[in-house]
Amino acid sequence: MENNNKKSSVFYSYCLNPQIDFETHGEGEKIILLLRSHPFTQIGWILNSIFFFILLFISNFFIQSFFNLGQIFIINLFFIIFILSYVWFNILSWYFNVGIITNKRVVDIDLHAVIYKEISDAQLGKIEDITVKSGGYLQSLFDYGSIFIQTAGAAVNIEFNNVPHPTDAVQIINQLISKKHGF
Amino acid sequence: MDFKDFLAAFSIQGINNIFFKTIMIVSAVSYFFYALVISKQVKTMDKTLQDKYNWVVLLITSLQVTVSLILLILAIFLI
Repeated sequence: MENNNKKSSVFYSYCLNPQIDFETHGEGEKIILLLRSHPFTQIGWILNSIFFFILLFISNFFIQSFFNLGQIFIINLFFIIFILSYVWFNILSWYFNVGIITNKRVVDIDLHAVIYKEISDAQLGKIEDITVKSGGYLQSLFDYGSIFIQTAGAAVNIEFNNVPHPTDAVQIINQLISKKHGF
Repeated sequence: MDFKDFLAAFSIQGINNIFFKTIMIVSAVSYFFYALVISKQVKTMDKTLQDKYNWVVLLITSLQVTVSLILLILAIFLI
């Protein structure tokens, strides 16, 4: 917020005062922060995609004796499109899995496997406990971690996994809670 | 198709071609339905989260559906 020196950064995964809107956005509700997974956590599927391309390239040397030239072209076309679809699937999963912090509540929008949508939110006044988990070489090096927000009663708990600058995000939430309680 | 062509279709090469075409059509149909589901879901998510880059996402998703349709046509008519 005012004293938070992190601007929108880390490849669109930590955005202060973002120009976005969401389905359950209430009247007079101001969006303060948008969080996505740190881009470094996406390295797994990026490496997988590169591996699949290399595998396809190598397999071309072995399938020559089984198929004619036209068939090899079609096989390559199909596999290239499938690999690109795998890449696109993962980009969508990253893009639509967001955490939103507003001046009234914390919202978690999840898109599991691009098929299941889940939206959970917690009013700032109902937040009881916030935990930040950030450990290991990579998380320390790239400054990312997970935030667990525990709410009162049977209300749903919220998790923001592998988000950049987790301590700054928690600081923002704490400031908002303090404001809400008039401290 | 004369009798000679009919017999040729049942040669090893002919069976190989039929098998290949069947696999390609099944894959193309599956991929077409997958692309449609993704497209539908992206439209839903576009309403859920409105962002300035959503038009890019919608454009690429439409491209995916178009490509899947081209693959299907290719698998049915050209292979």
